[in-house]
Amino acid sequence: MHNEIISLINSKVSNANATLINPPEDGAGDSSILINPESVFETMKCLLNSKFNALQVISGVDYTEYLEVCYMLANFDPKDHREAIIKTRLTDRDNPTLDSICSLSLAANWQERECYDMIGVKFNNHPDHRRILCPDDWEGFPLRKDYKVQEVYRGMEVNPEAKMNRDDQLFENQKQTGNEEELLRKALERGL
Amino acid sequence: MQTWDMDLEELKEPATESGEKLKTELLTVNMGPQHPATHGVLRVEIKTDSEIVAKAIPHIGYLHRCMEKHAESIDYRGVIPFVDRLDYLAAMSQELTYSMAVEKMLGTEVPRRAIVIRTIVSELQRIASHLMAFGTYALDLGAFSPFLYAFDEREKILRFFEEISGARLLYNYFWIGGVWTDITDQQVDYIINFLNGFEKELVKYDKLVSQNRIFQERTMHVGTLSLEDAHSFGATGPVLRGSGQAWDLRKVNPYLCYDELDFEVPIGEGQRGSTVGDCYNRYYVRMLEMVESVKLVRQAIKLLEPGPIIGKVSKVIKLPKGEIYMRTECPRGELGVHLVSDGDKTPYRVKIKSPCFTHTSILPHIAPGQMIADFVASIGSIDIVLGEVDR
Repeated sequence: MHNEIISLINSKVSNANATLINPPEDGAGDSSILINPESVFETMKCLLNSKFNALQVISGVDYTEYLEVCYMLANFDPKDHREAIIKTRLTDRDNPTLDSICSLSLAANWQERECYDMIGVKFNNHPDHRRILCPDDWEGFPLRKDYKVQEVYRGMEVNPEAKMNRDDQLFENQKQTGNEEELLRKALERGL
Repeated sequence: MQTWDMDLEELKEPATESGEKLKTELLTVNMGPQHPATHGVLRVEIKTDSEIVAKAIPHIGYLHRCMEKHAESIDYRGVIPFVDRLDYLAAMSQELTYSMAVEKMLGTEVPRRAIVIRTIVSELQRIASHLMAFGTYALDLGAFSPFLYAFDEREKILRFFEEISGARLLYNYFWIGGVWTDITDQQVDYIINFLNGFEKELVKYDKLVSQNRIFQERTMHVGTLSLEDAHSFGATGPVLRGSGQAWDLRKVNPYLCYDELDFEVPIGEGQRGSTVGDCYNRYYVRMLEMVESVKLVRQAIKLLEPGPIIGKVSKVIKLPKGEIYMRTECPRGELGVHLVSDGDKTPYRVKIKSPCFTHTSILPHIAPGQMIADFVASIGSIDIVLGEVDR
């Protein structure tokens, strides 16, 4: 089924360069279709008008050397159901940009906002390009692998040491030094 | 609660001689984040023209707990309690999706008895979740007693869940490879007893609420979502079925043992003079689904055979490289888990496709032109849980 979709994309969209990605040989899971980042809008236009009727979710993954944005498409029709993962890769980490598909799917509005909020991919022509889960003035993109939490937010200390729960780390450390009994006794004293 | 954008000086100025009307402005009303009708911490910024909603802007994120980020540093078993806390009213269904995704990647074979127990438990969870939706929806519209009736029945299901898992809300009952504890014959009798009583209750609910004139007036022809828009929003579950599409993953792409069970997929057909896709249809689909769930549990109980309840899973779970997108039919719609593994002990990325997130994005679309009271009815009819919206 994937090959059919790939040939459809390649025949309709000239610069899509769609290729099939199978799970690695020692791996498992779903296969997906990789397209050029420049052709996202045209490809989605082609697919959402023919094979699929719904965009389920946009999922961003940070692979450190590139950012990957996956579009999960589905056809909600009991007689003719199918789903596919269409993905694209962005190598520019500082300013990753894609074309918004808000004009094609109503779901895209919030999904793209979440993708921007979490991974930091910007979407051209988005009607309401704001963060969605984090506050508007939050710094950084939490789901990137090199993300570091900002220390101060609006004059408040983020993650103050006094409020951090380090019990599990303490337990691991003491287990290594063979001080388990001591730890248990302390925990009991504190009423845990 | 209310804020006025309007400049008071302008109001004092009389209309000009040429008959120009007084200048009016939209009024901004904040509904939430602490509001009984928003089912959690949702804030909706409403621009109103007298009592008509001109624009509604939902602000979410008040319950954001960085679940997806946390999951990247915990082993695969440890993620399950986090998944519980997404949709805390249907925790079993959430665990099911996640554990099925991990099992499919591992290639683990789940024993037959565990599959049947999972089916029974997730259908009971669906009933419990729909009861909550039913009770709170009636409460939103001003009827208090259905809420108590619904909680009475839900309590019986929770009591069973407490027996098998030790918890009443966040269970951690589905483990990777199977389930934690076995269910006994007495518990099976208890379920059958419950179902017998519950069927009579359903008739009562129908008379009390579904056929109630006031309830019908409040919900019929309100907040209509066309099928085309439902598709475009990616809506699933009772919202999509309420708009008239018989789409149910349990039927279309069966998992667990749904392919052996006989059940119908109820859809909104404009029952009792309503419009397809309105609040009444979305509500009514849930009521019909409870009838189907009762049928499903009865059939699944007959499939129970003695046997192991958990498959062979290594002590330290390491997933092979790759990614998977697994989805199942949860009470509120399709929950999807996009799991990426790099071959390590912890997930590389867990992305939750939340049906409630999708459905909340429908609110600004159906709000314009509604009365504020009808907007409350619309929020209740899509049945959102903010824990899942914000993750």
